[in-house]
Amino acid sequence: MGSTSSQLDKDALSEYQELTFLTKQEIILAHERFSAMLPQEYKGATNIRLPMEKILEMPELKSNPFNKRICHVFSTSQPNDGSLTFEDFLDLLSAFSEAATMEIKSHYAFRIFDSDNDGTLGREDLEKMVTLLTGDSKDTSLNGEEMGQLINNILEESDIDKDGTVNLSEFQHVISRSPDFVSSFKIVL
Amino acid sequence: MLIVVSQDVVKVLFVFSADESIQSTLSSDSYEYYQTEIFDLLPSVQASRPEQDRHGALDANEVYGGAPGSAEDSGHGVGTRDKTSLQPLRNLALCMQGKRGARRKMQISNIGFWESWRRSQANNRRRVWVQMGEVATGLLPWRHTLHKIQGKFGVGVKAYFIFLRYLIYLNLLHCLLIGGFIIGPTLYYSNRTENDSVLDTLLGSGFLDRSPVFFGFYEPGSLNLPCLNTPLLYRAGILTIFFLSLIMVVRRTIVGYKHTWLLGKRYSMNVSFKIFCGWDFNIQDPSAAALKHSFIRNDLKLFLEEQSFSLRKAQRTLGQKVLLYLLRFILNIIVISLLGGAFCLIYLSSKYLETTDGHGWLAKLVLQYLPPITITFVNLVLPHIFRKISSFEDYSLTVQVNTTLVRSIFLKLASLGIFLVFVFKSNTNVSKSNCRENQFGREMYKLCIFNFLATFTALNKKITSEKYPTSLLARLSGKQRFLIPFNVLDLVYIQTVSWVGVYYCPLLPLIGIITLVFTFYIKKFSVLRCCVAEQRMFRASSSSVLFYFMLLLSLFMAAAIYSSVPFCRTFCGPFLNEKTVFNVTEDCVSSLPSSVQNTLRYLASEAFALPLILAEIIILTSYVSRGRANQKAIERLKDINSDKRFLVKEHATLLRSRKNVTRSPSEGRPVSVDRLQL
Repeated sequence: MGSTSSQLDKDALSEYQELTFLTKQEIILAHERFSAMLPQEYKGATNIRLPMEKILEMPELKSNPFNKRICHVFSTSQPNDGSLTFEDFLDLLSAFSEAATMEIKSHYAFRIFDSDNDGTLGREDLEKMVTLLTGDSKDTSLNGEEMGQLINNILEESDIDKDGTVNLSEFQHVISRSPDFVSSFKIVL
Repeated sequence: MLIVVSQDVVKVLFVFSADESIQSTLSSDSYEYYQTEIFDLLPSVQASRPEQDRHGALDANEVYGGAPGSAEDSGHGVGTRDKTSLQPLRNLALCMQGKRGARRKMQISNIGFWESWRRSQANNRRRVWVQMGEVATGLLPWRHTLHKIQGKFGVGVKAYFIFLRYLIYLNLLHCLLIGGFIIGPTLYYSNRTENDSVLDTLLGSGFLDRSPVFFGFYEPGSLNLPCLNTPLLYRAGILTIFFLSLIMVVRRTIVGYKHTWLLGKRYSMNVSFKIFCGWDFNIQDPSAAALKHSFIRNDLKLFLEEQSFSLRKAQRTLGQKVLLYLLRFILNIIVISLLGGAFCLIYLSSKYLETTDGHGWLAKLVLQYLPPITITFVNLVLPHIFRKISSFEDYSLTVQVNTTLVRSIFLKLASLGIFLVFVFKSNTNVSKSNCRENQFGREMYKLCIFNFLATFTALNKKITSEKYPTSLLARLSGKQRFLIPFNVLDLVYIQTVSWVGVYYCPLLPLIGIITLVFTFYIKKFSVLRCCVAEQRMFRASSSSVLFYFMLLLSLFMAAAIYSSVPFCRTFCGPFLNEKTVFNVTEDCVSSLPSSVQNTLRYLASEAFALPLILAEIIILTSYVSRGRANQKAIERLKDINSDKRFLVKEHATLLRSRKNVTRSPSEGRPVSVDRLQL
């Protein structure tokens, strides 16, 4: 399993196992993948930030419309530029792993969808989401009227307290009824 | 149903407690998992508590043993369980550093070797299951093609292809049964040889007449035990086919119906699902991602269209309604007269069938194929007219498709039925040498072959429009659209012919399989290469129920035709020598030992029928009453659920107003219960 320089020490491994939903093999694999993306001179260093552009080149994230949001959500950099350390990367994989609970998954899904980071999904957030979901080709995307109608529908269904936005609890309420959210909100290396 | 609703209850509770965690993410170090007293007190929640406990606490208890619940005991009300102490650190939505900080507070040691091994084993087991499931679905043929089609053309078109695949399975099963029951024994116990010209392949005469394709071949051979002879096997084979088909189709219809019913209007979370759970994060392939995009887009557009239609419908005035109903009435009269005309045409063409003598071979071929040509022509043209008509009737898109389907299926089945009746009538005076059943089987065979040839027309259109883009035909047909109803109708029609003909032409299912497999590839080609995606989509779930329902109808029609079979005397085939289906079984029964005979006779008598009917009534009654009771329970549960929604709403407004009034420093803290209850 990889060269000696890319191996994690035992304590770190068991700590990561405790703090994430990942198994030992998954953590080792994640470490290999992460260090493969590092530039040559930093090989083996654990606290290096990998810029967002590099992360987005991973095939697992490349075609995901929410890939930039994912990086921003899991990044701990100040100010937030979407760059990830190895631990951030593990956090990401943990949230998207098979073992992660519904609660964790829906929490992160909410933050990924909340593109202005204000803690609720407003009209703009929803609009941005729909645009990302339907793709950005000009001829086929929804027009303004359709978009308005759609957003109204979403709010009518999900916005229980009628404050014009979907907050986390309302979001989780909807998500929890979907049978296939847990299986679709998953990224496995 | 019950389980679903009780889960809902858990979810509501869960939502509620999560209400606060949005604040906790905003503040830096609070990761508490709050619960609010109101929901704890609800009886329904308490009923569902054990389940939740099991889920939430199982892992945690083992990890932390008797971990002190004192890590933070903030403003919780009395009796509120401290959820935090039971949560493993992984369950906290924090970054790695945050979790470390949390652990430092809780002073918990690292997990041991045994625990880590156990956990990875559990993960591996889950993965193996998932993989096994994937392998199992991978065994289904054409999965990749179906996925591609779904992405490009939506669920509706995919439902068509799934239906097609289902029919292939069905026919494969038929073939196996026929092979086992009929062909195998007959071939094994008899041997003959003969040969003829090529034209006979198309007409189904000559060597084909004497081949295993038709009824006449299956004469009782050397296998002639009283209870194991060719006629009995023949009959058993056909009956098994029918019963199995009935069971399979009914099951499929009911499953589909249940699905539609569950997804009906009573659950109004549909759009939010589509948006919030729409993306599949597993997708890696860019082309798959593009497919998913277009799939979501199509789905949303369909939804919006249906919604705006129902809005328009609600705004109709009385005058408009009257006008509309008048228009619909007139259009229905037109439809009926068109149907009548079509039936006349079929009658005339089957008249010509009798005057086939004294012509050249080409004329003979054309005349022989006149009825199938007429039927296929009528079936090709009229549905399109019906489609145009239904577009004037101002129904919603799904209803439009369904009315067209119903009208067309009526046309198809009725035209087939009328044709069969004529063939039966015209054949009553055929001589003994010319086997009547073979004649009938031949008509079915010709219908099948012609259908097969007709599937190639779509291909021809494509080729002409590509080679001669300026030709009249190409300009007329324009860009093709894949019209699901008509394609489904074709399939149902093929299956009906196969069912009706299987008694007279036992190899028809085999021909059916070949036809269907070719159809699959032709349709796939024409869908992916020749058709443009529909701007308007229609919903798959309700339509696929209709597909199977039509199949059921056609099965009933075939059964109705067969119900007349046992009463006809035949001069060829298994029931030769004055044997009817009835005396064959009679012979078998009388050869059995007397006790078995008596039992069988009792089972077949009226004396047994009465208790049987009584038992059926009792069982039915109990099921009906159970169904009613369930219905009531569902209603009650729905009430509970709406109560809960109301409470959540109330609480949310309360919280908000409180927040506005007192922007207290303890922003991230929960509202303690005693304050809430004020």
